[in-house]
Amino acid sequence: MIERLLVSGGVILAVAAPVAQEAAPGALSPRNASYTIAARLDPARRTIDGTERIAWRNITASATGELQFHLYWNAWRDTRSSWMRERLLAGGRDLADRPPQDRASMDISSIAVNGTTLPFTYIAPGDGNTDDRTVIRVALPAAVPPGGAADIRVTWRAHVPRTYARTGAIADYFFLAQWFPKLGVLQDTGWNCHQFHAATEFFSDFGTYDVSLTVPDGWIVGATGREQSRKANGDGTATHRYRQDDVHDFAWTTSPDYVEFRQTFRHATLPAVEMRLLLQPEHKGQEQRHFDATIAALRYYGEWYGAYPYGHVTVIDPAWQSGAGGMEYPTLFTAGSRWMAPRGVASPEGVTVHEAGHQFWYGIVANNEFEHAWLDEGFNTFSTARAIEQAFTPNYLAERYFGGFVPWVFRDIAISRATDGNRLGGYRSAARMDAQITPTFRYWPPTAGAITYNKTATWLHTLERLLGWDTLQTIMTTYFQRWAFRHPTPEDFFAVANEVSGRDLTWFFDEAVRGSHVFDYGIQLLRSEHDRERDRHDTVVAVRRYGEAIFPVDVLVTFEDGSTARERWDGRDRWTMYRYTRAAKAKQAVVDPDRVLLLDLNYTNNSRTLVPRAGEASRKWMLTWVAWAQDLLMTYGFFV
Amino acid sequence: MTEAGGQRLEARFGILSCWRDGARRVTGAPSIVFGVWALSLLLALPLGVVLRGLIRDSLGSSLAADAAAEGVNYDWWNEFLQATGGIGTTFVPSIIGFAAPLRNLSDVMDNVPLAATLTSVVVAWLVVWALIAGGVFDRYARARTTHTPAFFAACGVFFFRFLRLGAIAAFAYWLLFRFVHGWLFVSVYPRWTRDLPVERDAFFIRLGLYLVFAALLALVNIVIDYAKVRAVVEDRRSMIGAIAAGARFVARHPRAAVGLYVLNTLVFVAVLVAYRLAAPGAEWRGPGMWVAFAIAQAYIVARVWAKLVFAASQIALFQSRLAHAGYAALPEQRALEPPIVEALGPAPAPPPRV
Repeated sequence: MIERLLVSGGVILAVAAPVAQEAAPGALSPRNASYTIAARLDPARRTIDGTERIAWRNITASATGELQFHLYWNAWRDTRSSWMRERLLAGGRDLADRPPQDRASMDISSIAVNGTTLPFTYIAPGDGNTDDRTVIRVALPAAVPPGGAADIRVTWRAHVPRTYARTGAIADYFFLAQWFPKLGVLQDTGWNCHQFHAATEFFSDFGTYDVSLTVPDGWIVGATGREQSRKANGDGTATHRYRQDDVHDFAWTTSPDYVEFRQTFRHATLPAVEMRLLLQPEHKGQEQRHFDATIAALRYYGEWYGAYPYGHVTVIDPAWQSGAGGMEYPTLFTAGSRWMAPRGVASPEGVTVHEAGHQFWYGIVANNEFEHAWLDEGFNTFSTARAIEQAFTPNYLAERYFGGFVPWVFRDIAISRATDGNRLGGYRSAARMDAQITPTFRYWPPTAGAITYNKTATWLHTLERLLGWDTLQTIMTTYFQRWAFRHPTPEDFFAVANEVSGRDLTWFFDEAVRGSHVFDYGIQLLRSEHDRERDRHDTVVAVRRYGEAIFPVDVLVTFEDGSTARERWDGRDRWTMYRYTRAAKAKQAVVDPDRVLLLDLNYTNNSRTLVPRAGEASRKWMLTWVAWAQDLLMTYGFFV
Repeated sequence: MTEAGGQRLEARFGILSCWRDGARRVTGAPSIVFGVWALSLLLALPLGVVLRGLIRDSLGSSLAADAAAEGVNYDWWNEFLQATGGIGTTFVPSIIGFAAPLRNLSDVMDNVPLAATLTSVVVAWLVVWALIAGGVFDRYARARTTHTPAFFAACGVFFFRFLRLGAIAAFAYWLLFRFVHGWLFVSVYPRWTRDLPVERDAFFIRLGLYLVFAALLALVNIVIDYAKVRAVVEDRRSMIGAIAAGARFVARHPRAAVGLYVLNTLVFVAVLVAYRLAAPGAEWRGPGMWVAFAIAQAYIVARVWAKLVFAASQIALFQSRLAHAGYAALPEQRALEPPIVEALGPAPAPPPRV
């Protein structure tokens, strides 16, 4: 495939050649699904009335005789949708039990293609659930050939729910995403238009969005893109028009309460970005924390992978209890903070960096989140941890007490990138639940997140430690630039990794991604005995592979005179043994001493020492625990 | 100063002097403070030893122990929590330093169920309190040394009475936690905050509900406290009668009873604040761990002292209003004389003083 990489000052202007031939001059993306939308929000009734015109172009090599649309909000219409069924598996009873007025709906009034009104039918391409109404099919009177176009007009009415999946309203706060009938993605293999699933997000084609939003006059609006105009309608409403090229989604928010702040991101080698922050009034004073985190993401992701190309971004600080925090949309994302947000704890920074980072992994490199959500979520979790480490260290553990309101910072516990940043703990419990390569919408819902986010971040960090950051960065940069404004698959990433590293990493991806084996290496035996005849010490070290997965590891043996022996083990056999005869007695042995294999589920067993301090450590923590338990008794002593 | 102002001043000084009197009585009997502290240690220690075994087994001879001994080995800790069960599940970061009392108070106010493995220890603690409370109250009521046999004799006299009283109190607290807490925090709070988009407002609503609930707890607590006081000082056998008498006392001396309660609560808060400043973190190692333990134990001793002053000052208040200091209706218990004394006959009367 021919590519045209136009990298200027770090700005990516890469598009696929076949697409570039069709796209507008200067376009970053194919722009084959462009939307012109007019929508009116009635806050009192919580309804949206909308009309949309979609300029769609068939950029595949196959003709199509139908169109498929997502009607995402129907997932929250009743408890029979696939989303709700899956959510119940993951323990979401509260969401299922909501009263009708808190649920959502999306009803199509009409669909016309090239001027002809057409009927539609609900389909369930994923699981055959005939009660699911999140996907419709429209049969076309005439097929659209490759390179052909269709002019589609849709009118609909939607009911805004109390928030599900970051979308909805509370009081006068509205956050509206996946809120319009949206085309699926036509691929050479046919339509890719999954039902809305609980553990997955979205997938759509790039285009230009030109959206006019009518809301109560005086309400502040934030949306994908830049505001083009604002017009008071004289009936107590105002219409805000937003426009954005080269994006694959559009989300917006409105509330009378937002406090607006603006800053500009500037960098020596990256393009400037206007940052607009819509902050909740109770979080005044935290604006710089939001900006600093956004700057960190724009800076580090820009330096590591490629520049943010849009020139502006809107950061939404969602209302408390809105459930809208921590979600990404093109040129706009929701962060998430608390009224009491202690310093030294990377919140709101963590979520802000993560969601800002999605502008890159998701926004620009637009993988199919229904099938390979880890390509953006996992990559972004890895990148978030790295950026947080660069910009917000130290980052301490905090817990909240008294109804979850009162924070307490544990200055003794610094959060590390390697484990907590990659969320190794979460992965550990879900390690065997699904092979990562399984389509995301088929993951076991309760543990889907752990595989999608945590495992990916952990194996990417493992890859970084295996190959070195420079190599991994080159892999990521190449992958980013090659697949910007396109829809890559896992195989595309694997190919780039092999190509750039110059190594066949298939074995690693087989273990980490294609399988569900777990890694666990350990020192089974360390013995060092004095041989009186020779006045030497005979040392034996046995290393074991407890898990099924295989990874080459180092073994480091340290002796009492300070000397060391470092071995390289391919890690394939179930165990291996090393023997040494030295003047000095062995002190300790460690397998994977540099902790390259972060995926190792039990790192405690990776080392052995002949002078263990478990007694001292356990005594210390027992004493700490005993004092806590006494305090517990004294607290209950109130009642006697 | 007006007459009313003078009465208020007197009442305030009355509260202060009762508190001082109570503090004197507690400080004058340090063995009770240290005895109660030792009981708390003895009850917590066995489970601590079990936990120690779990931690030691988990760390084994690994180098992870080095980091755990030096400070917090959070990676190992997470691994441990993933694999452990029983008492091990209570080994969480909240046990460190001042987070410990914060979490314990928070759990009580939020009605978080006690870990199953701790229930038996807490129940044992409550029973032990019922067992020794008679002796403690009797000692403070008399405001003079009673010696060990008399102390335990008083414990014996009041054990079943306080057990009955405890059952009534437990029922009252159960009603509060089961129904009132549920109503306030599971029904009212979510209803009031359901459509609230401002966290700060929700926090203040919750704070208000905490105060309401704490006031109800305090109401039961204060009545039960004076029931105990009256049971001991007046040698009451009916605990229902003692509760009624305790309630009457609070009703007739509301300003003094509540004022003293508030003062004692402030003392407890002061102890917490002091511990907030002095609480050891996880950095103590080697012999230093014992220093950290000593600081934590000093805090527990202070909490024991504050709790005992609570009781002693309430006794002092009651005696200042309805009895005289040192009065206790229960005759002072004496240890049985050894058989040799009986064989020798009664001691001769001392010669008259001239």
